[in-house]
Amino acid sequence: MANILIVEDDVDLNAAYKIILENEKDYTVRSAFNGQEALEALKSFEPDLILLDLLMPIMGGLEFLQNYELQKKHPHVKVLIFTNMENSPEVNEAYKLGAHRCIIKSWTAPQNLARVITDALNEKTSEATV
Amino acid sequence: MKAKAALVRATGSEERAEAEALFNSIGDGVITTDEFGKITRINPAALKILGYKESEILNRWFPQKIIAVDDNDQPINLIDRPITKAFLSGESVYEKMYYRKKNGGKVPVTVTVSPIILENRPVGAVEVFRDITIEYEIDRMKSEFISLASHQLRTPLSAIKTYAHMLIDGYMGDISPPQRKSLQTVVGAANRMNELISTLLNITRIESGNITITPKLVNLQKITEEIIKELDHSANAKGVKLQLKVSTKQLSIKTDSLIIKEVISNLVSNAIKYTPDQGSVTIRLSSRGQQHALICVEDTGFGIPKQAQEQIFTKFFRAQNVVRRETSGTGLGLYLVRGLTEQLGGKVWFESEEDKGSRFYLALPRQFSSQPKLTKHLQTKLNS
Repeated sequence: MANILIVEDDVDLNAAYKIILENEKDYTVRSAFNGQEALEALKSFEPDLILLDLLMPIMGGLEFLQNYELQKKHPHVKVLIFTNMENSPEVNEAYKLGAHRCIIKSWTAPQNLARVITDALNEKTSEATV
Repeated sequence: MKAKAALVRATGSEERAEAEALFNSIGDGVITTDEFGKITRINPAALKILGYKESEILNRWFPQKIIAVDDNDQPINLIDRPITKAFLSGESVYEKMYYRKKNGGKVPVTVTVSPIILENRPVGAVEVFRDITIEYEIDRMKSEFISLASHQLRTPLSAIKTYAHMLIDGYMGDISPPQRKSLQTVVGAANRMNELISTLLNITRIESGNITITPKLVNLQKITEEIIKELDHSANAKGVKLQLKVSTKQLSIKTDSLIIKEVISNLVSNAIKYTPDQGSVTIRLSSRGQQHALICVEDTGFGIPKQAQEQIFTKFFRAQNVVRRETSGTGLGLYLVRGLTEQLGGKVWFESEEDKGSRFYLALPRQFSSQPKLTKHLQTKLNS
């Protein structure tokens, strides 16, 4: 049993991830469509893991991480960057801001997504290898 | 006799004046030095680019007065400066770098330095350099555009792939075998499109020096197993046996996980693509001394003909023996593999014999230190 917050602006993908995670595992899933909505959701929802897109309108993933002050306020929450911007400075920046791991959307099949999330939830932060 | 001498003098001074006018009219920066590197002449274009007056430059030692810096704003060592290389090799040297201007700013330049040889002896050097600020800006805009376009193309592609997978996996109820097969075709096509976008994006990033390396501890066995899982379907479709052999356990290296995955994945998918039905592809993981991990991808495929081996890492090159059999390749895969490997501080090479198979080796440092500068082959590509 774990709480997962999906932050993804694409409505179709957001809905798909919700179905996958709710079907695959016993997860409670909440959806947000940009960083601003995610910050709002965090007032009433305590996630164990945040699945975070980077390029979003209103507030992107990096800005969300800066506002969220991940390491200070929520050190136990793992943030998985879920993006198509591989090998980019944005991913590097996300790691600096406390992201746990980065996975590439277009290369990750639904079952792999569920597995990666389970692995991340089971890993201690210091063991974060790929 | 006197009249003849006066004529010679007049012709001589005319020639000098003409040469002077010619030198001063050259649109690119030109600097000449003596055999010790002391600046003997500089034209107005060079003074304009660097922001100096002639009196501040003449008779000064070239490497000290004309400061060259790299992408990270670090001064380039004397031994790596084109003028040094030109003096040492006796040949023209062409490079891209930045020059520090008098006001402290930096300007991207292309530099060609040639030694001046007189009676088999270098008596000086002549450098021609060009301000390429506009070219740099266009390059940056091109990279930004490709990056954004790639992202925008991939978002709908991700949705297509995710929903097709969900249908295959039964998230929306049972499907018939023909429906499953059709959906697998959809996924396969989406994967190919993805590969192409990814390749184009990475090549653009490497060539513009914009690739970002994020070193993390990477378990090579785990990552290779993931790749095998992802490529198992295409191997099975051809009856190709795909296996992993590990001779060093716990082979973890500090490198960029996404880039290394891309490199190995490219080599393995190439091996599958260019191996005939019922063949085999073996990935071996081992150590190479204390400092490197060694990954070998071995196949029983078509092999690379001897005459094509020198060009195999060249952009858009495809060997004739595979073009006849497999039409879908772009000729970008191995070019990208080498570019990415060099960015990780590693090396890639191969052994191959036509109709017997190929072995591609990848040596990677256990500890990634810092981002290497543009490598020689990429630099050559860029220059061309």
